[in-house]
Amino acid sequence: MTLLFDTRYLFVRSLKKLFRNPILLFFSLFQPIIFLVLFTQLFHSLNLLPGFPPGVSYLEYASAGILLQNAFSSALQSGTSIVEDLNSGFLQKMLVTQVSRPAILLGRLTTDAFRVTVQSAIILCLAYVLGFRIQTGVLGLLLILFIVAFFGLAWSGISLALGLRTKSAETVFGIGAFLTFPLLFMSTALVPVGFMPTWMQSVSNVNPISYAVNAVRDLSLPNYFSWSAEVSALAFIAGIAVVTMGITLYLFKKVVS
Amino acid sequence: MSNTQSSVSRPIIDVKDLVEVYADGTKAVDGVSFNVEKGEFFGFLGPNGAGKSTTIKVLTTLLRKTSGSISIAGYDIDKDPVAIRKLIGVQSQDTSVDPELTGRENMILQGNLQQMHGKELKERVEQLLEVVGLKDAADKRAGRYSGGMKKRLDLASTLVHKPTVLFLDEPTTGLDPQSRATVWEYLEGLNKKEGITIFLTTQYLEEADRLCERLCIVDSGKIVAEGTPSDLKREIGADAISISMKNKQGRSDETVKAAAREIVSKMPEVVNVLDSGDGLTIYAKEGGYFIPELVRAFDKTDIALVSINLSTPSLDDVFLKHTGKRIRVEELVKDTTSGRFGGRRR
Ligand SMILES: Nc1ncnc2c1ncn2[C@@H]1O[C@H](COP(=O)(O)OP(=O)(O)OP(=O)(O)O)[C@@H](O)[C@H]1O
Ligand SMILES: [Mg+2]
Repeated sequence: MTLLFDTRYLFVRSLKKLFRNPILLFFSLFQPIIFLVLFTQLFHSLNLLPGFPPGVSYLEYASAGILLQNAFSSALQSGTSIVEDLNSGFLQKMLVTQVSRPAILLGRLTTDAFRVTVQSAIILCLAYVLGFRIQTGVLGLLLILFIVAFFGLAWSGISLALGLRTKSAETVFGIGAFLTFPLLFMSTALVPVGFMPTWMQSVSNVNPISYAVNAVRDLSLPNYFSWSAEVSALAFIAGIAVVTMGITLYLFKKVVS
Repeated sequence: MSNTQSSVSRPIIDVKDLVEVYADGTKAVDGVSFNVEKGEFFGFLGPNGAGKSTTIKVLTTLLRKTSGSISIAGYDIDKDPVAIRKLIGVQSQDTSVDPELTGRENMILQGNLQQMHGKELKERVEQLLEVVGLKDAADKRAGRYSGGMKKRLDLASTLVHKPTVLFLDEPTTGLDPQSRATVWEYLEGLNKKEGITIFLTTQYLEEADRLCERLCIVDSGKIVAEGTPSDLKREIGADAISISMKNKQGRSDETVKAAAREIVSKMPEVVNVLDSGDGLTIYAKEGGYFIPELVRAFDKTDIALVSINLSTPSLDDVFLKHTGKRIRVEELVKDTTSGRFGGRRR
């Protein structure tokens, strides 16, 4: 019970901070919006090439990728907030209270999930204006938001772990920025796998972003949806989440005790 | 609660042979033992790096001790840290308030995390805001507070859950003299009227002298002296006369100092002579009568006295006696200029 209460208190705290200092909310949105507006224009005739899903516009194709790119880079900033609490002494101040230890992490993660969901909603609205439609309706929309938030959470864990380990916001930012583009370009976020040279195809095939992107894309395009693909994507993301959360918990315990 | 019980119970803080070694091998606390009785105002006085903050961090469950044993209010720190956290309030040396929350929100959150809610919490928060004089600024973000205001907010938020033991790590460092006096009065009130046990660290002699009923003087991780301020000072048993000098050539180096020491040591009134850095500190009975003697003694030599300063013994003399050093902090008068403080990290 205290776990739930404490998580809620800390969730509310982070939300207040987020809305009073909304840079973190919009910072990671900058790139996806440029991609959404300019990239899709620049490459709009990509769908004429053989191997592109027939009858699909480039905007429709790339929207899923842009959503996940945002989730990825936004989540990779998550660690900066824990670094802030660590360095300001606020974390220590919490730790001398009775607060449930896991609640400190859970409060953080729920906020991250919330943030990614809000950002995704903003991107989807903009994509809608540009002509993007989710073909599987409201249920599909909800499932997309769920997958994106869940994917974000998995990477929040990595970022939190990095923050706890390095105690440096710059490092967390740097590594986040360093990882985003290579992983994004070597995935099916922006082009079909068939467009890539073979070595890159093999990277893409194990790239977590590809899995999540494919799951979201199948939900947004007509006639692609299949439960088995969705479930296996979710399982893959869950696998990542388990690993990253494990590392985070381990490092957090070290800081806490 | 009941007095009959506390008179037979063990000390509220009981520390034996505490050792704390950091990961890099620094032995910050080196075998420290002490007790604090319930309701006592107890202090750790020591210079930078003495191990005061480290001791507080271990006592408040933030750091795991390397060895030794600690019990607080009868709870063992290894077995029952949660029970201890319920009872204690901690103000750390580095002020930590959430800059994006208002003063009031900071306090409410702190109460929430100590499992207080609703009306009880609200009333408590309003009362404390009043006491620390932040009522008017309560809805302002704490990030926009002045250093002293942050410090007061920090102190108030450690009190929300009515702790029975309060740990304060240099609570007045960086405050202006008025705020410092206010905090002193408030802390005395907490201790006397509400019976809260207070463990305070400080590098200010005057603060330790005025507030602490009993104190430990610490240096390099060790307790060098322990007792009430008046006992400690009585132990010196003499007045302190600080002198500085130079020879006819205008030099004031170590050889001159040694020569002066030679002269002083031969005088019958002198109890002890210590090197105080720029000169010597001489301990002598009845300092007022001794000074003319002292001046005369130097008259016959080629050393001239540059300054003579007579004082009744202070805690600094106690420190000097045990460690051969002065605590050497900017004393209270000097930091009136640092009106703004805090936010060291940003
Ligand atoms: N995290 C750490 N890792 C390694 N050494 C540390 C760490 N924290 C403190 N120390 C060292 O331990 C010793 C005691 O430090 P501590 O902070 O307890 O001193 P202090 O008495 O509080 O001093 P001050 O009056 O400056 O606050 C110092 O030598 C310090 O350099
Ligand atoms: Mg300290």
